[in-house]
Amino acid sequence: MKNSVIKTAAAVAMAWLAVSPAAANDATAQPAQSTFDVSVQAATCFTCHGTGGTSPGSIPSIAGRPESVLLMQLKGFQADPPPAGTTVMNRLAKGYSAEELAALARYFSQVSR
Amino acid sequence: MKNTVHISRRGVLAAIGSAGAAATLGVAPRRARANTAPAGRVVVVGGGFGGATAAKYLKRRNPKIDVALVEPSEVFVTCPFTNLYFGGLRTFEQQEHNYDELRSLGVNVIHDTAQAVDGKAHTVTLGNGQVLPYDKLVLSPGIDFRWDAIEGYDEAAAELAPHAWKAGPQSRLLREQLEAMPDGGLFIMVAPPNPYRCPPGPYERVSMVAHYFKTHKPNSKILVLDAKDNFSKQGLFTDGWKKFYDGMIEWVPASKDGKVIRVDAKNLTVETEFGEKHKASVLNVIPPQKAGFIAERAGVTNESGWVPIDPHTFESTQVPDIFVVGDATVAAPMPKSGFVANNQAKVAAAAIVAALEGKEPPQAAFANTCYSLIAPDYGISVAGVYAVEDGKLVEKAGGLSPRDASDEFRKLEAEYGVGWYQSISQDAWGTGA
Repeated sequence: MKNSVIKTAAAVAMAWLAVSPAAANDATAQPAQSTFDVSVQAATCFTCHGTGGTSPGSIPSIAGRPESVLLMQLKGFQADPPPAGTTVMNRLAKGYSAEELAALARYFSQVSR
Repeated sequence: MKNTVHISRRGVLAAIGSAGAAATLGVAPRRARANTAPAGRVVVVGGGFGGATAAKYLKRRNPKIDVALVEPSEVFVTCPFTNLYFGGLRTFEQQEHNYDELRSLGVNVIHDTAQAVDGKAHTVTLGNGQVLPYDKLVLSPGIDFRWDAIEGYDEAAAELAPHAWKAGPQSRLLREQLEAMPDGGLFIMVAPPNPYRCPPGPYERVSMVAHYFKTHKPNSKILVLDAKDNFSKQGLFTDGWKKFYDGMIEWVPASKDGKVIRVDAKNLTVETEFGEKHKASVLNVIPPQKAGFIAERAGVTNESGWVPIDPHTFESTQVPDIFVVGDATVAAPMPKSGFVANNQAKVAAAAIVAALEGKEPPQAAFANTCYSLIAPDYGISVAGVYAVEDGKLVEKAGGLSPRDASDEFRKLEAEYGVGWYQSISQDAWGTGA
């Protein structure tokens, strides 16, 4: 049992820290008031796109998709007019800096479905 | 991996023994902290969007932290999507959620009511007298009503003229009254002043009652008596009402004598500021609100009745080591929504885990999306992204669905609303919907 607990802890830690390089790189672009942790920012996406980015319903899953595709879509959502079929993401994407979008795209590309 | 988590956490619980779990909670972490990895004791009060999410994300971030969740209901009923139950589009049970996933993650779920908090001693006292010590406390108490605000509207009156602004028996009562109402009746809603839980909620409810009337009782009318002069998503609601329910709904703002000051629940009659009386067939009074009572007892509310917080962490500005999330907080420009409660809970959980590990809190991040349904295939939304700048919460971006959007756009937002409910239910409780 002990092993499984350790394994579990390691797996959970990995799931959350998988993108620490991205977080570290991006921290330079953030205000210095506190450390940037991309998992906190990514968790705001889970509320619609599902925990970890895997959706149980009609909103598209974003976990495990290629980083370049995710980043292209996120940048596309910021445009006016946005790509056809865009709804709420046009309003949400504008709230993030280029660095934040890059960190999010990397985060979700590295989460397994 | 998911299976490993479940089996191993259950194994740990089994080893502790279910009867001893609560007692152990107070002792084990201190020992564990002394010789092994850092941990701590966190008590979460309230099992709604904020509390359930906080408990889950504490465990996700550090499974070694002892987490107890105090929630009286074994089955939690959400306010979001209960309006669709009034519209006849969903069953009551589709809004029910249990705590099985939290238990499987090792959260000690205690079905009782937190009656007192001692911020100095760091303890929570439950209804059964049990005392839970904590290192950090999360309060997600939701709202309580100001029963003294409208003359004649108290808890007894709510059994005749339901508020249905906390989901549960009140929601069933309102639905039963709508079903029993004859065609040609008048539904009156008394809409609350700001701030209150779920800003677009009253107007989505009006839309869903209108849908029910249109399909079952087409000669019936709706009168909204409002304590405000404007409301969330007003233009979009007004457009939708005209498109689907033209002539059925009358909205009276405060400036046109919409403010109700007296309720006679027995006679289903209300009286406005300037003395006009209105008699309803079904009367829904949504009273003015404040933070859930445990927040006041914990000493974290201010003169407004709500809870001021540090927006970086959602720790109380008045009592250290008490974190407050959800509707109870003063967090404008973020609305009092389930989405926001879920989001604030994740920020608080990350801050607590960092603090227990002796680290600085990570940078907070917030977003919100609130969907409202006007008709079965016609949804609208408001969205926002928020950040902390110079110690204050600010809206970085956001806005409403476009006023001139196509029917296809509205249909997509109706579908995404359902998708949102499924996702947030999974995120908070691990339950499908």
